[in-house]
Amino acid sequence: MISFASPLVLAAFAVLPIIWWLLKFTPPRPQTEVFPPLKILAKVLRKDQSPDKSPWWLTLLRLALAGLLILALARPVLNPRNQTQTNQGVQLLLVDNSWVSVSDWNARVATATGLIVSAAERNEPVILAFSAMPANADIGPFEASTALEKLAAAKPEPVPGDRALAMNRINSALGQTDNATLALLSDGLAASTLPTPLEAISTVQLYTPETRSALALIGSNNGSDSLDITAARDPSRVNQETFSLSAYDSRQRPIGKAELRFKAGEEIGVAQFILPFEVRNDISTVSIDGTATAGSLQLFDAGSGRRRVALIAASNNDGAQPLLAPLYYIREALAPFADLIEPTGDNLDVIIDAALADRPSVMVLADVGAISAKARVKLTEWVEKGGALIRFAGPRLGASEPIVDDQLLPAVLRTGERALDGAMSWGEPQSIAPFPENSPFFGLPAPRDVLVRRQVLADPSLYKPERTWAVLKDGTPLVTGTRLERGVVALFHVSPDATWSNLPISGTFVEMLRRSVQLASNGTTNSSERAATLPPLRTMNAEGRLNPPPVTAEPAAANSMISFQNPPGFYGSNEAVVARNLFNLQTRFTPFELGSDWKNVTRTAYVTSDERDLRGPLFGLALVLIALDAIAVLWMAGAFSQMKRRWINASAIFLATAIFFPVSDTFAQQVSEAEAIDAISQTRIAYVETGNAAIDEVTKAGLEGLSMFISSRTALEPGEPKSIDPAVDELAFFPVIYWPIDPDSAMPSAAALSKIDAYMKDGGTVLFDTRDELQSGFDAVSAPASTLRLREMLASMNVPALEPVPTDHVLTKAFFILQDFPGRYRGGPLWVEASSRTESDPVRPVRALDGVTPIMITGNDMAAAWAADEFGDPLYATVPNDPDQRLYAYRAGVNIMMYALTGNYKSDQVHVPALLERLGQ
Amino acid sequence: MGLIGNSVERTGAAELLARARTRAALLPDLLVEAQRIANIVTPGWHGRKRRGIGEEFWQYRPYSAGETIARIDWRRSARDEQVYVRDLEWQAAHTVWLWADPSASMLFQSKQATVSKESRALVIVLALAELLSRSGERIAYPQVFAPTASRHGAERLAASLFSVDALHLTPELSAVRRHSECIYISDFLDPVEETIERLEPLAAKAVRVHMVEVTDPAEEVFPYFGRTEFVDPETGAKLTAGRADTLSLEYRQLYAARREELSKFAKSRGWSFTTTKTDGLASAALVQLFGYMSSGNQS
Repeated sequence: MISFASPLVLAAFAVLPIIWWLLKFTPPRPQTEVFPPLKILAKVLRKDQSPDKSPWWLTLLRLALAGLLILALARPVLNPRNQTQTNQGVQLLLVDNSWVSVSDWNARVATATGLIVSAAERNEPVILAFSAMPANADIGPFEASTALEKLAAAKPEPVPGDRALAMNRINSALGQTDNATLALLSDGLAASTLPTPLEAISTVQLYTPETRSALALIGSNNGSDSLDITAARDPSRVNQETFSLSAYDSRQRPIGKAELRFKAGEEIGVAQFILPFEVRNDISTVSIDGTATAGSLQLFDAGSGRRRVALIAASNNDGAQPLLAPLYYIREALAPFADLIEPTGDNLDVIIDAALADRPSVMVLADVGAISAKARVKLTEWVEKGGALIRFAGPRLGASEPIVDDQLLPAVLRTGERALDGAMSWGEPQSIAPFPENSPFFGLPAPRDVLVRRQVLADPSLYKPERTWAVLKDGTPLVTGTRLERGVVALFHVSPDATWSNLPISGTFVEMLRRSVQLASNGTTNSSERAATLPPLRTMNAEGRLNPPPVTAEPAAANSMISFQNPPGFYGSNEAVVARNLFNLQTRFTPFELGSDWKNVTRTAYVTSDERDLRGPLFGLALVLIALDAIAVLWMAGAFSQMKRRWINASAIFLATAIFFPVSDTFAQQVSEAEAIDAISQTRIAYVETGNAAIDEVTKAGLEGLSMFISSRTALEPGEPKSIDPAVDELAFFPVIYWPIDPDSAMPSAAALSKIDAYMKDGGTVLFDTRDELQSGFDAVSAPASTLRLREMLASMNVPALEPVPTDHVLTKAFFILQDFPGRYRGGPLWVEASSRTESDPVRPVRALDGVTPIMITGNDMAAAWAADEFGDPLYATVPNDPDQRLYAYRAGVNIMMYALTGNYKSDQVHVPALLERLGQ
Repeated sequence: MGLIGNSVERTGAAELLARARTRAALLPDLLVEAQRIANIVTPGWHGRKRRGIGEEFWQYRPYSAGETIARIDWRRSARDEQVYVRDLEWQAAHTVWLWADPSASMLFQSKQATVSKESRALVIVLALAELLSRSGERIAYPQVFAPTASRHGAERLAASLFSVDALHLTPELSAVRRHSECIYISDFLDPVEETIERLEPLAAKAVRVHMVEVTDPAEEVFPYFGRTEFVDPETGAKLTAGRADTLSLEYRQLYAARREELSKFAKSRGWSFTTTKTDGLASAALVQLFGYMSSGNQS
């Protein structure tokens, strides 16, 4: 659908014929040229060739252009939005930005934008409120532009929306206005509070999403075998659905996976993480894979896992016999999944007080007989609040005087104990019968290897069979337990050490203890701690990611509601983390409906296709036509016949470049395989060409001469020396680069220098030869030109500290024993990287250095000394003319080459005699 | 205005003279071959490296019968049996008329050209004037500069040329005496018949004419394209071509035919015809002219 905002402009189409008539008779203006041989030209130009009319297609083009402009000026709109015509009033916008709005937030923003824009066209102020926003947020009335900014800044929040609060804010922002249109952009979910209608609102547009997709993990139960996660989904999702859940630890490492299954037509689904208990305790978050809402993340804190267990024994056994200590096996069994505290004190009262002060979930009393009345009261109170009291029998308990109606024992005990084996007994040690069904241990296999030799007995006349958690084969109870209010009291009728039975050293003991500990309810014990206000540690965003808390997050009381100020997340400190989840097990998702007290409600879906202003494309098309027209005029003026050849040449060159050098930049950097193989198949000495042919020839001849000498004297047979351009060539193939410095040649480029620098850093050696030994030394202040040039070059590199080759340097011993390194000239030092001076061990004959000096500098013009013709005769006389000097120059070259190739291997070689001597001993 | 070429301002005297001097300095002293006009001479400064009328001794030569006895050098003859005649070196000069077309069409300069045609023509005129004055010839310019032998002929000619208010579009050649030389520089864009008609009388006076055609590369190549309106700088006449590039071939043929006709006419009279393009160097044309003038056996 196309409509025009200003259709009157279309009347301008009537002008088109006039334009056509004008265009038809206006040929393009010719180019005026002064031309002296006009008389000659006049003979050629017999007939008048100038067209008096524009070609028809040019006219058509221009008419189309004019038509397009007229069309564009009429402001055509594609898919026009249904304008809600209202009187001058106020546009109210209540946008739900609760956790469930993440999935269709963009549609919501688009709709809100459209509403704000159309309100701006009607010149109406906008009040923009969100269902999850700070209580003091400014909601308007705004100008449209401000409202759009606010809208852009808004984002879904990980909390359920509070529409009633937003309506109250709107009410107060409305002031005296009595004509308002409310657009309620809902997320389709009912919230705890219903918005109340306002007098001033004349019409309501209720936007609801077409599909409601709420899905959330609402609760968990860390059972004895598995972690059960309960999830709820929107009732509109009736099909059977399956999701995959992942559990992560506090460092976001995946721990386990489980399948969440919704049966058809059911709102609630359950997933079970069947994991070892220790692993389950590490679970920090569980999320639904592939969904990103705050609802898909369930948080766990330490409280849902580990219990605090207080271990109390009447006699603190000395540490000399730990295996006989009453608490040893309990400690070992509980340590993996419980926080153990062992309060100490002078007497039992003090110990129990200390234990209760630590607020344990479970208290284990190992062979504690008499408990004072005061402590008894405290313990009873604690158990009734949800504590689990687990007691073990023993000689003390057996000997203690039974108390009438003892709440801290599940059974009335007979004094003394029963011995099942022994010289005076007919009985046999008994094993454990299968666990009864009402026992918390039900499901555990009854251990066959556990034998109970001694136990305390419940008084059969007062015994309550339903309190039996475990029995021996002969029917006497082994473990009895009962609930006391919210707590549990349990008694193992054997001692906690291995003296009465071998139960404590069996695996079943661990399982039984673990299940017993799980019986303690978790939330109550730390209630006083939880009541405190906790600062947010890491909070969830609406996408279900844990982030540092936003500035709007405030410390939350334990029992406070999840709200904008208290988003779900982890609260507290890193040591004691409390998880606050968005939902509880009672959460259900019901569709949102406005109450019957709302009038004039129209329901709409969110816009999917926005209206489009066609002015832009039309003006664009007109611009294209203008360009075409310009090209046509140029063509008619013959511009292209003139340019044709140039264009063809240029494009041919461009094409050729594109074809032959497709990636010339990278191409230059990379070395073809053949080149690389060629470069490394032989060791070559590389040299840098200065560009001065005379110097380069000497260098080449010199390196050839040196290569020949090296081949004849050593096992190394270098290949032809290779000239390189450090800016272009790959340097990594060469152990040594010889670089004669020519002050007259161009300064190497920065790229070349940085490549050389990198080469030196990566272990290459560059031998700079300034060839100016004869010129140096006359003037201490000014250096020769080539030295200056070298300094200039090295200024941009990372050159280590230098020193003349010390007498104990490897270079002096790498092949020949040398003390100086002459070239064509003698006397100039060879500078190398300075070695650390710290160790001046007179015993060590050579200085050990890791690696090879990256840089050597000489002024002796070595290449000239090495240079030989094809017959091996030297090309240059040495200065002074001494044949020995040339020999030493060659030897210096050999040493440098050997040093570069072998590194400190040679320095280690020095120690070989000493090593052999030592081996011989 | 035009993309290809324009009419430019007339060139200043000082600049022209400087340029002419540099051009002239490239050539050796121009010694005009005057074999055909041996007798009608006005003494000049430079010897002709041959016997004739002059002041300097040239050679002794054996007396041949019939010669004036007065020319016998008795002192030399007394030395031996032979009678010797003392020859003097011939020192001669003759008049060279220079003329450059001052019409408006000469002011044309295209983009490819380095100078305008007028500028090029005057440079050649002044360079020749410099050369000829240096070698003692008399130079003249119709209606502007009477035949003068002066060491500073070029300066004086330049001064005269630029002090004249308006130059005549056609040279008054009746003043040219017999056996003179005439340098006629123009773009020869007038109809060929008119040019021939103007020069024919000179042939009757046995004047040797060196025709120099100054041409602009744009006139020769015709690089125009598209819809173009051509304006004649002389008459102001206008012609509009719808697609100028289509005319190129035909125009160039006609242009070349005109040059061919002029060249043929020059040859038939024993004259020379030189072409200089304003995108080239003036020296090239100058050397060629120099060759024609000093050899004289071009025909």
